[in-house]
Amino acid sequence: MSAEHANTPVVQLRGLVKVYDTGEVPFTALRGIDLDVYSGEFIGIIGKSGSGKTTLINMITGIDHPTEGEIVVADTPVHALGENALAKWRGRNIGVVFQFFQLLPTLTILENVLLPMDFCSTYPVRERVPRAMELLEQVELADQAHKLPAALSGGQQQRAAIARALANDPPILAADEPTGNLDSKTAEAVFHLFERLVEQHKTIIMVTHDNDLASRVRRALHVADGEIAEERIHRGRHTGA
Amino acid sequence: MLSLKIAARFLRRSPGQSALIVAGIAVGIATQVFVGSLITSLQADLLAAAVGSSPHITLEAPDGGGIPASFAADAAKSEPLISTAIPVRTLSAIYTSGAESVPLSVTGGDAADLDTIYKLGDKLSAGTYRLDFGEALIGVRFAERYGVHAGDRIELLLPNGRTVDYAVTGVFDLGQGTANERFAFVDAASADEALGFTENECSSVQLQLSDPFASSEIAPRLADALGVVTIDWQEENADLLSGLAAQSGSSVMIQVFVLVAVALGIASTLAISAVQKTRQVGILKALGMSDRAAGRIFLWQAALLGLAGTLAGIALGYALIWSFSFAPVPFSIRPEPTFIAVSAAVGISVALLSSVIPARSTSRLDPIEVIQNG
Repeated sequence: MSAEHANTPVVQLRGLVKVYDTGEVPFTALRGIDLDVYSGEFIGIIGKSGSGKTTLINMITGIDHPTEGEIVVADTPVHALGENALAKWRGRNIGVVFQFFQLLPTLTILENVLLPMDFCSTYPVRERVPRAMELLEQVELADQAHKLPAALSGGQQQRAAIARALANDPPILAADEPTGNLDSKTAEAVFHLFERLVEQHKTIIMVTHDNDLASRVRRALHVADGEIAEERIHRGRHTGA
Repeated sequence: MLSLKIAARFLRRSPGQSALIVAGIAVGIATQVFVGSLITSLQADLLAAAVGSSPHITLEAPDGGGIPASFAADAAKSEPLISTAIPVRTLSAIYTSGAESVPLSVTGGDAADLDTIYKLGDKLSAGTYRLDFGEALIGVRFAERYGVHAGDRIELLLPNGRTVDYAVTGVFDLGQGTANERFAFVDAASADEALGFTENECSSVQLQLSDPFASSEIAPRLADALGVVTIDWQEENADLLSGLAAQSGSSVMIQVFVLVAVALGIASTLAISAVQKTRQVGILKALGMSDRAAGRIFLWQAALLGLAGTLAGIALGYALIWSFSFAPVPFSIRPEPTFIAVSAAVGISVALLSSVIPARSTSRLDPIEVIQNG
């Protein structure tokens, strides 16, 4: 545990192993990862393609399941949850931002943001639309609320996806290459949005292949061959609580 | 209800595909409604023609003699499905025209009673429907063949050697050659006199039932209760019944095949839709949608398609039945509400059943498969 963090970690990974059955030769994506993430941290996970960084974040969000090891997020043993419990837990506790935005093309931006609230019933029905509009205002998309995702630019879609990820006010945001599909200017805007959220005490775990962005977060983990090969602390950057 | 909302959105975003499925169900249901109503109407017409104007059960004395006329009331009281019960007198007679002698089956009874079964009042081709003492109604073929008209008198030779003179009040057309030539109706009193019956006696009691097919159950009960022998129309019309049964069987077969075709159509289209929507369902599950809620999306889709297709199918079926009224055929199709309700229920159920496989595969979908593939 880092000396700077006296509090309990919000994410604890212990001996995390993931082996994919890819035919005759199994592929080991993660090899015994141990990691603690503290409340309010902004963590960057970097590594080459196939290094295991996306597998790692998918384990934290519960989208993928470990072959071995334990994942405890906000005191919940995620590795022990069944599919339905996991889906509900994820909806309430983790906001997920995907590289390809993954907005539902058949729903408007507003309806996309409403989805997690509808799934988890975290807010009374009458409060959901005002909250969704508030989040869209926060990401400067209130005027686009009733449009379909296809009518928005990539950057706007990613901001809408971030608003959706924040819908249930989860303590943790997990973002997999959130700027990977954006131009540098739009990527910068999204990164600033994350910085603001960290200031609001959100914990953000971001997978990125962008070394420049990784150098701007408080803690950067370099993943290689399924292991955390290097951990860098950047002084003066966003610290945990 | 979120599953319903998403299902509706999925359908609206693929209007062509949705319209095709609805059209497929509609054609299937319309075929069901039309063929089912056609067969039902045909059978009803056939049944009405065969037994609509004849007794369904006849009660007779075991020794061929007379039975109390009160058996009519006794029978009606004991069996609620009996809609009509009348005492009749039956006798054989000979009509002589020149050198030709013609046997006639004569039924005697009260004019109002006889009308309840034989509907003679509606089937008169000449004269008036009246049976006072010494009056008779004859068939149209008999009238034409022997040149007898309403208002004429005919002389009948009875089995006991007596001759009886009757005034012809009307000529009926029962729609059946033999009946129109060999049947005659006379009043009850003159028939009693000819048979030597008292007023409280009759040859037989004729019954009609609200459900003609119940005759095989009711007849044995009446035979036991009243000590009579019974004649059941179903035993007398075995060929007609086997024809109707064959027709019903072929109708059911057609409907089953139509339903199978509809089910396969919906199932295959929903399966394609499920594959097309895999990514979106994966995202929904990644965002917190439960397996059951994800599966319900396709159940709702099927329910919406089934409902829309069924309603359209019923409307189309009614349109087909209406257009058939212009066809030059000697019968009409009547929509059967119960049958249509059953068809609608079956249509929606089949649609729901067709969605089980896509719903199950969707509920089992692992979001990682979608997320990993972008």
